[in-house]
Amino acid sequence: MSTNKILNDINLSAKPYVIYKTSNGFDLFTDFSKKIILSNNNVTNFLETISSNKKKIKKTDLYIGFFGYELLNYLIGIKFPKQKTNFFPKGIFYKPETLISLSENLSFKAPPSEKKNKQFKINIDRKNYTRIFNKFKRKIKQGETYQIKICTKYKNKSKIDPLDFFCRLSKSNLAPEAFLIKDKNYSVISCSPETLIEKKGRSIITKPIAGTLKKNTSLNKSKALQYFRKNIKETKEHNMIVDMERSDLSRICIPGSVKIKKEKTIEEYKDLFHYVSLIKGKLNKKVKTIDIVKSMMPGGSVIGCPKVSTLNLLNNQEKENRNIYTGSFGYIKFNGDMKFNIIIRSILNFKNISEISVASGVVIDSNANNEFNENFIKAKALIDLFK
Amino acid sequence: MIYVIDHKDSFTHNVVHQLSLFDEVRCTNYDEIDNRYLKRASTIVLSPGPGSPKDYPITSSIYKKFKGKKKIFGICLGFQQILFCEGANIVQQKQIYHGFQSKVKVVSKNSVFKNKNIYKVGRYHSLKLEEPFYSKNFDITMRCVISGSAMALENNFDKIYGFQFHPESFLTINGNLLIKKILSA
Repeated sequence: MSTNKILNDINLSAKPYVIYKTSNGFDLFTDFSKKIILSNNNVTNFLETISSNKKKIKKTDLYIGFFGYELLNYLIGIKFPKQKTNFFPKGIFYKPETLISLSENLSFKAPPSEKKNKQFKINIDRKNYTRIFNKFKRKIKQGETYQIKICTKYKNKSKIDPLDFFCRLSKSNLAPEAFLIKDKNYSVISCSPETLIEKKGRSIITKPIAGTLKKNTSLNKSKALQYFRKNIKETKEHNMIVDMERSDLSRICIPGSVKIKKEKTIEEYKDLFHYVSLIKGKLNKKVKTIDIVKSMMPGGSVIGCPKVSTLNLLNNQEKENRNIYTGSFGYIKFNGDMKFNIIIRSILNFKNISEISVASGVVIDSNANNEFNENFIKAKALIDLFK
Repeated sequence: MIYVIDHKDSFTHNVVHQLSLFDEVRCTNYDEIDNRYLKRASTIVLSPGPGSPKDYPITSSIYKKFKGKKKIFGICLGFQQILFCEGANIVQQKQIYHGFQSKVKVVSKNSVFKNKNIYKVGRYHSLKLEEPFYSKNFDITMRCVISGSAMALENNFDKIYGFQFHPESFLTINGNLLIKKILSA
């Protein structure tokens, strides 16, 4: 069956489904036999019972879904002050009974509908952003954090067709960790570029991104590399993330096995260049799924460094729940293998509200205006889909 | 056995892996100290971490209790912690180094490192030692080639050592060698 026909059918069926990028196409997961809504009360049990040492498994012997940011904080013992919330679940996982491989070229013609999308509103304006920025800069001078990412959120009232959005987004930006979740009462559309964990057997990798450059006609891959190499601020930010991810992996890996496989390389996407490293390790025999999740999540590159003190600073500052943003989406197979991304560049649609969160880093030599603008550029690619 | 006291830093487990090349290592958070490990350890390592030494009174009291009895080695915040316990002021520096590779030079004939050697090291610190600093048996044995700020301390009488830089960072060249020298000193 053609990808086009499969997508039309699934959309008409009104069944919940998930689409996740693979190396050469997409996988479609559906016919969910179980849906687990995660909370602080059941997440530990979920992680402790999900996988066994079973060697032979079917392709659908897995749970696919996401951990929200707050749940990941809970798992590592970080508390929250009271925040504004829309009561979106803290995490949801599905057990699929059907898996269909799709080609890379997703096409879907949405049935015509009346457009009801309002203008997006930002939750922190430039003035407030600058105030928070300066506060965090003082914290950096005092050594309480070395790098911290301020999150801003854009929201609007909207009614959208998630599959149409996802197909259009995949055309304009084919990201290696793209995914779509379509359920009855919510959807998530994402073009995440960042792999947080890929575990096969006892081998584990993480691929942090720190550094993004918008393409233009005069830039090619080697010029982009030169730009990052010469830019001391970007280099320092990236170095910090590399050392932090090495340390996160070292918590669960055999001493001496954690190695930087690719150090500060350029990955090219349709509109952007990313500054990327790849770090690999070999897991300790005794390490369980829950240990891996707790060591690696929430992903350091989108939080800042050091993780615990920076999370505390962020959570005390942010008035609104991050929901899925900077959580992780992916799957855990019944044999313990897993793949997770970092949820960024995503739209969450819930209760007829679409929300897009973005963040950029404060380091000692960053500038509030530039970072505020960078946030807007990151959000704009997604906001433009609503036009 | 080496006991690493973790100040909830995101680099500590790089330190643990590096030390594991040479000895058995145990590590806990500073607010979950295991007294059996403290007792058993031949070396106590004070990890890097956020904030300033005055924020960690538990670590200070461990330092004071074991000074002269066990080898003590501090990295970054741990280095500052030792100096702080020896009466030094730890102050903000004008130029802040986070994720920065720079050169440090051995500046003492009494060092376990060869005088005038230069090392390329990774740095992550907002604060530094205010000088002049004097405490009995303590020497500042490495300095930043450019700013001159204190980068290593040694007290070979009490077997106390510290690096302001991060020997475990991938930005430090020959970090394992630097650690080996300290552990065998």
